Amino acid sequence: MSALFTKRSNALLLTTLGVLGLGAAGTIGGLLLYWRTPYGTNQNVQIVQPVQFDHRHHVQDDLIDCRYCHSSVDKAPSAGIPPTELCLSCHSQIWNKSPLLDVVRQSWFANKPIVWTRVHKLPDFVYFNHAIHVNKGVGCAECHGRVDQMAVIEQVQPLTMGFCLDCHRNPQPRLRPLEEVANVRWRPPADRAALGAELARKYDVKPKVNCTTCHR
Amino acid sequence: MPPLSLPIHGQPAPHRGPEQRWRSLAEAAGSADPAAGSYPDGDEAAPDSFGRRSFMQLLGASAALAGLSACKPPREKVVSYVRRPAGVTPSLPGFYASALSRGGHAVGVLVETHEGRPTKIEGNPGQAASLGAAGLHELASILDLYDPSRLAGVRRDGRPLAWSAFLQEAAGLAAAHEKDGGARLRLLAEPTSSPALADQRARLLARFPRARVHAWDPLAEDAARVGARLAFGRPLEAAYQLEGADVILSLDADFLASEGDHLRNARAFASRRTQAGMNRLYQAEAGYSVTGGAADHRLRMRAGEVLPFARAVAAALAAHHGLPALAALGAAAAGELGRTAAAVAKDLYSARGRGLVLVGRRQPAALHALAAVVNAALGNTGVTVVWREPALLDPLAGVAGLSALARELAAGQVDTLIVTAWNPAYTAPADLGLAALLGKVPNLVYLASREDETSQVAGTVVAAAHPLESWGDLRGRDGTASIVQPLLAPLAESVTELDLLSAFTGQGHLGAWRLVRDGWKARTGEAGFDQAWDGWLAAGVVAGTARPPVAVAVDAAAVAAALAAAPVPPAGLEACFAPDDKALDGRFADNAWLQELPHPVSKLTWDNAAFLSPATARRLGLADGDVVALSLRGRTVDAPVLIQPGHADESVTLPLGYGRTQAGPAGAGIGFAAGALRHAAAPWIDGGLELRKTGRRHALARTQEHFSMEGRAIALGYDVGALPHAAHELDEHRGEQATILPAVDYSKEEYRWGMAIDLSRCTGCGACTLACQAENNIPIVGKEQVLKSREMHWLRVDRYYEGTPADPTSVSQPLACVHCESAPCEYVCPVNATVHSDEGLNEMVYNRCVGTRYCSNNCAYKVRRFNYLDYRGTMAPVSKMLQNPDVTVRARGVMEKCSYCVQRIERVRIGARSQGEKVGGDAVVSACQQACSAEAIVFGNLNDPASRVARLQQDERRYDLLHELGTRPRTAYLVRLRNPNPELA
Amino acid sequence: MSGRPAAAALADPLEPVPVLVGRPDDRALTASLTGPVFGPTRKGWLILISVLLVGMGFWILSLVTTLVVGIGAWGNNIPVAWAFDITNFVWWIGIGHAGTLISAILLLFQQKWRTSINRFAEAMTLFAVAMAGLYPIIHLGRPWLFWWLMPYPSTNQIWPNFKSALPWDVFAISTYATVSFLFWFLGLIPDLATLRDTAPTRTKRLVYGLFAFGWRGSARHWHHYRIGYLLLAGLGTPLVVSVHTIVSFDFAISQLPGWHTTIFPPYFVAGAIFSGFAMVVSLMIPARKLMGLEQVITMKHLDNMVKVILATGLMVTYGYVMEHFMAWYSGSDAEAFAFLNRWTGPYAPIWYMQLCCNVLAPQVFWFPSMRRNLVVMFVVSVLVNVGMWAERFVIIAVSLHRDFIPASWGMYSPTWVDWGLLFGSMCTFGVLFMLFLRFVPAVPIAELKELRRELEHHDAQAGHAASTGHGGHGAEARP
Repeated sequence: MSALFTKRSNALLLTTLGVLGLGAAGTIGGLLLYWRTPYGTNQNVQIVQPVQFDHRHHVQDDLIDCRYCHSSVDKAPSAGIPPTELCLSCHSQIWNKSPLLDVVRQSWFANKPIVWTRVHKLPDFVYFNHAIHVNKGVGCAECHGRVDQMAVIEQVQPLTMGFCLDCHRNPQPRLRPLEEVANVRWRPPADRAALGAELARKYDVKPKVNCTTCHR
Repeated sequence: MPPLSLPIHGQPAPHRGPEQRWRSLAEAAGSADPAAGSYPDGDEAAPDSFGRRSFMQLLGASAALAGLSACKPPREKVVSYVRRPAGVTPSLPGFYASALSRGGHAVGVLVETHEGRPTKIEGNPGQAASLGAAGLHELASILDLYDPSRLAGVRRDGRPLAWSAFLQEAAGLAAAHEKDGGARLRLLAEPTSSPALADQRARLLARFPRARVHAWDPLAEDAARVGARLAFGRPLEAAYQLEGADVILSLDADFLASEGDHLRNARAFASRRTQAGMNRLYQAEAGYSVTGGAADHRLRMRAGEVLPFARAVAAALAAHHGLPALAALGAAAAGELGRTAAAVAKDLYSARGRGLVLVGRRQPAALHALAAVVNAALGNTGVTVVWREPALLDPLAGVAGLSALARELAAGQVDTLIVTAWNPAYTAPADLGLAALLGKVPNLVYLASREDETSQVAGTVVAAAHPLESWGDLRGRDGTASIVQPLLAPLAESVTELDLLSAFTGQGHLGAWRLVRDGWKARTGEAGFDQAWDGWLAAGVVAGTARPPVAVAVDAAAVAAALAAAPVPPAGLEACFAPDDKALDGRFADNAWLQELPHPVSKLTWDNAAFLSPATARRLGLADGDVVALSLRGRTVDAPVLIQPGHADESVTLPLGYGRTQAGPAGAGIGFAAGALRHAAAPWIDGGLELRKTGRRHALARTQEHFSMEGRAIALGYDVGALPHAAHELDEHRGEQATILPAVDYSKEEYRWGMAIDLSRCTGCGACTLACQAENNIPIVGKEQVLKSREMHWLRVDRYYEGTPADPTSVSQPLACVHCESAPCEYVCPVNATVHSDEGLNEMVYNRCVGTRYCSNNCAYKVRRFNYLDYRGTMAPVSKMLQNPDVTVRARGVMEKCSYCVQRIERVRIGARSQGEKVGGDAVVSACQQACSAEAIVFGNLNDPASRVARLQQDERRYDLLHELGTRPRTAYLVRLRNPNPELA
Repeated sequence: MSGRPAAAALADPLEPVPVLVGRPDDRALTASLTGPVFGPTRKGWLILISVLLVGMGFWILSLVTTLVVGIGAWGNNIPVAWAFDITNFVWWIGIGHAGTLISAILLLFQQKWRTSINRFAEAMTLFAVAMAGLYPIIHLGRPWLFWWLMPYPSTNQIWPNFKSALPWDVFAISTYATVSFLFWFLGLIPDLATLRDTAPTRTKRLVYGLFAFGWRGSARHWHHYRIGYLLLAGLGTPLVVSVHTIVSFDFAISQLPGWHTTIFPPYFVAGAIFSGFAMVVSLMIPARKLMGLEQVITMKHLDNMVKVILATGLMVTYGYVMEHFMAWYSGSDAEAFAFLNRWTGPYAPIWYMQLCCNVLAPQVFWFPSMRRNLVVMFVVSVLVNVGMWAERFVIIAVSLHRDFIPASWGMYSPTWVDWGLLFGSMCTFGVLFMLFLRFVPAVPIAELKELRRELEHHDAQAGHAASTGHGGHGAEARP
């Protein structure tokens, strides 16, 4: 009776099995990795907005405080997108002919809102509250990064649940004096741990890690 | 394939939900969308297209994983204001005061709004009729605002008509009528207390001297006013001061749930239901009412026997207690009735000056008059009951006026009839044949918010604005005025009654705001008006407009005469009409929240039924759900029967407000039209009802099937006298238990949230359930799902009967998640979706839940609710505007339950901590607590010994439900107290 | 095998009925046992499988409906949040016990009578577990998230709750399924080789050859084979006990009256073996007839199996009695009521059905005549399976529908989807089983030949005329 299988078939079978096994492991491992990559968390993506708004210019050159435009950041859950009105409070005077601001002026005269594209997106079942963070000395830059150096706003932190928990479990390294909260250029002192400990006492910072702290 | 990332990462789809919502709102509220997306629309799946979701679910996770890395969901859009409206902080709610009309009287409300989007109605603490509480209909009316089936614009002979065009037509019509002084012009309106409407009616009658205004309210309280006129010569309005009443005799009056200022009454009544100085309530009634459930002695009698009983009481007072004034009014009764009457009389007499007799709207005027005399004779007048000039423009709005109009219509004496009363074609007594008559009126102008029986016969139908879209004003029963202010511009083109009338008075161009404002300016003067006006809007009441009580003198003789002429109890099976606790006269039949709310007593949903006693049912061989043919005065209606323990024998209670032929999707074709049996001669109580079994059956969807406690200690009750001796018996149901597991110590925590529910105060009205539904985005599931016992209410009110089925007492027990400190649901959840917070909340994390339902199986209280289907998939975009943005909208396949209103806790906490303050022990108010008129529910911080909840949990009446299981519930109950009369025990 | 003492096969006066009728030689055995595989497709087989395929279609329809519409397509509600779904799950898992028990435990106990039936039972086990494994996933409200029950490092930093019995289930069942499969497949290898060598066409030779993993039946092969088989048997034995123990924890760890009891583990295991053996019998009786296996699957096997059914039936009955005793002894009203409710409640008929099928029916096996009557054995074993399904339904749904708070009591009634998932899964199980019967030898050829040798030794020692035997050890796989 002729041999059913050639010599190589053993090797072939073994490699096939091996590849299948590795493939399965690789898929799972790959996915676990994927969610930890900036690609998986939508980090560092530069998004084109209807208005070419340059934070560098407004923060660096004009030294405008974050809270001037994002005015509800210390009062409400949402930091707030400035109304067209606010843009024109300056730009009715300066650059009031600039084509860059056409969209803004159209919005104003047509009474049609500007439709921006969201950069920092948390799931809808997450109830993040800006006010409490800002009032407890968590600086804007902790999550939003050096906005003053961004031509176009991008997400610099993963904003995963793990990211939130890390800080909620140990907030002290992220604290800064309240007067520096909106100062993206603030340089922490050498011994930030000590400062953090002191501020945590001073501001009575005790973040919770209950589910309902964020999910309601 | 964007949605694919969704079930895997547990992240929401970038659904179109918000944009749609906001676009419609932007138009509606005249403001654009602030940062959307901070408005959650689902823990993972927003209510969007079924096709997409089903596709997603068909796909295995593996397929999803594969697709995942391939493509990313498109980014969400954020829409900013052009001009931010004053006083609006995006993502923070605002509260505005207004008032809703109940029977023409004001009930003050505070409306929660998110960026101009009203989401919840709450009571206004500053308004006398509300005192901060809200009733079923106040709470539910927010749903009507977003009802997709609402009318829009003006419809003339089936064709749409612009409001401006209608104004011109109206002007022309008015001019035509002016010639003969409006002899052929009529207005059919609801009784109202609105000063602005008073002005318009005055202008109308000034311009058309021969025109007539007829007031019609199918639930009118004419008998009370006629009774007052009999007793005092004037149709005065009674206001009860139940705080001061030790002994209360209620003659068929459901004053705790549906009659008069019931919210105020319940608050005052409940304040006397505790150990300290407990009052006593005798309730004489046929059907089992909410008030009957709260009574110490429920005197079960046919509605027609109430008058004889009252006269027996009067007779006993006259005979044994030396009140000769009553001699002429009384009529002694024999047997059981007489003995009871004697005991009640004795009790009333011993509490003279601290007692009260009150009468329900169904009873004849003579009885109301009798009660007034008895109260006067016992010196209760001025103490527990005070009399005022009525706030209503038309105190009499009963059948009489409507019959007059019907005669005129029949005689063809009316060319133009303006109808602002709700749906007279349906609510009018059948014998008037109003529906047909209305059809004959040349110009019938009808103001309606939805299609109904009347809009079918009206030539011109004008869409009515919702109260939250309207300018107006109203008075409370004590005369205090409230300004009705709109929360948003009408979602669809619609006008108010003011606008409509002004179209005929030549002021159509002004608009309601000017009419109301100018009216008050004229009333109060220019000086500092603007400031005052703003103050009134903020407070919700116009200070100093209350009417003083008037001194009264009774005319016993007139009353005696009236009693002599009073109708004798009708023979045969008694038909006893009643406003439905939920649909009222039918105007709320389209409200799905109310339809699904379990009836306070029978726990019936999505239906009404003919209620009768077990004995009567036995005699007629009837069982629950049997369909019978009811015949009265030659008219017949088919209705399912429901056997109500404690109902009077040989009497049938017929709830009005159902059997609508023309209504929205929720209300049409539900229940039976009891009104079709109603006769102008006897609109409330009638005799000679015939009842024939048809052999057909009807499925009645009740949320509770079993009304016995099976001898278990669940809703505990004691006679107030026995309470001091019950201590060690109660100790079995409270306190620490031996356990091998070390209990977690929460006493060190800053906050230890807990609740106390006082069964002695609770009347079981169900307002808490509705308030919870509004606050927590609880879906409506429909009758079929309720039949499968899948209703979603987080907070249910259980009712148990004790004693014989013929004449039981009852106790109702609000039951939501009790937040066990050692919770059975938590350790069985495989994915940690329900866990405990360090402050003791039993947290339900929707976005982590995979839906094993084991938590519900292991929950001893069965208070968890499961989204068996996608209950929100069918929601109309406009209805989504109702959702509370602070609470996640749950997806299909997810468990949910009471969260102790954690969103409120966090809002208060963050507010306080942002200011560096602590949260007060009573600072957090749960939605159910807020709505409760009886203050039966108290929430707060147990670690603050000064908080109300902490003190209540120390009360001698405190006990824990199913304490023996060692679940250590955070919600404690206080036992129900009864104060029976030893002579009747 | 030469290492094994012939004493193992000493004459046994307690075994008058033979476990192998006659002494067919290897060739005859091989021919008769590979017959069903290589022979032409029988009409009866075709008809049967097409009927079952229709049922399978109904099953798929029910599955799709469940996934598209949601669990709401079932009759489940609050309070009865588990009903047919978990009932079917426990029922199938229970049935899945007989296989490994027969193969592993009886192997360790060197029960000769296991030989001809073990593959049969193992295949049934595999398919039953496959059916069972489905329910825990589809009964989820959001089945596409089932993998959240697995411990893996997520960016949410959340892990499954190991206090809950449900994650234990995941491990128990997946382990059991894996081991059962390996055990079944390992035992199959020598026969696959036989098939490879006897297959009529080249394709068949290739296919069977592929799965035979190059088995040549050398002494070394047999050496490894025996070690592996014994190890797996050792591994499988504790699993037989552990799986249903853990399944019983799904209920025992709760506080629900009717679930909250410590007797569940042994009681569930006994019940599992009870139903498992019943299923084997009810499958085997028709199968041996249709496939003409009376020679190798003798009355002896059936007799032993129904004896096991009788024994486990008594254990289950003891469980019922103890439950009721505890309900009374605990002094807990709710507990007592839960059991009173079984006798008098709205679902009482199902309870009485359970008693008749599980307690009364098996008692007929006290009579040897009944143990020889194929019809009786078949009917009773079917009844036992019905009864065991009823038992699970009574435990799960009937306990749930009336618990602590009377106001929250409710009723459960199944929808067509519920029925579809029950009967559909039976048909799917049947389809798999039919394919098994068609494509692999239902009776282990190699082991049978080995058994024949043992018997010949025993015959010889017993002084009987030994039938001729040829071919050395390890040659079983060759014709």
